[in-house]
Amino acid sequence: MRSLLGAAIEEEADVTLVDMEAGLEHLSRSGGTLAYADVLLVVMEPSRKSILTAARTIALADELGIPRVYGVGNKARLPEDAEFFEQVAGEYKVPLAGIVPHDADVVEADRRGHVLTEGRGEPVKEAVRAIIEFVDRSLVTSG
Amino acid sequence: MKLGIVGKGGVGKTTISALVAQTYAARGLRVLAVDTDSNPNLALSLGLAPDTAESVPVLPRSLVVGTGDGAITPADLLTRYGVHTPADVTLLNAMAITQAGAG
Repeated sequence: MRSLLGAAIEEEADVTLVDMEAGLEHLSRSGGTLAYADVLLVVMEPSRKSILTAARTIALADELGIPRVYGVGNKARLPEDAEFFEQVAGEYKVPLAGIVPHDADVVEADRRGHVLTEGRGEPVKEAVRAIIEFVDRSLVTSG
Repeated sequence: MKLGIVGKGGVGKTTISALVAQTYAARGLRVLAVDTDSNPNLALSLGLAPDTAESVPVLPRSLVVGTGDGAITPADLLTRYGVHTPADVTLLNAMAITQAGAG
């Protein structure tokens, strides 16, 4: 049975993004509307622990029948961080949707509670655009 | 298309969520963002002022998991509970889903 929120998502929005603060496990016990996603992005920071957590989330998402689950490497300060994401994500079989650089403009916008304005945080915006293109391609080519 | 974003605290999940939502909205798509957190972090990242962020109405659990028994339409749900944000994204607060017995 489709819930009213499920109907609103299908009929009134082109894209619905669910910030799963509670975690996939918790949401999965609360009905399918918020736990199920066409695509799940698992945000990671450049640490082995973070990537291991992502690998576990991918296994859980698989059990829940979520068809496309990808990692996003965030806060990459150095070229070595990007290499680390590529290498360790490969080790744990976490497919990467993209890598987002650390950016002082993003930290500053967060501090002020503002959205990034025109001309600010361009490398981050570019990385996010690339991730969206990856997501859109994944919808066409799989599942 | 429904896109879920997960990640442990501190990895920047909310910031990435807001940027992805904002980028889709900038393409002219109708974007809905659903927060499941009891803190209004996503609201702030989408550009709402702190007092507005605190007052986003909580979507009753009965509408998240149930049909509302025909009393309101899907469009009504957005009108009543959705808040338009400076990122041009409509925000819904579904925190009740994580609270046993709420809504």
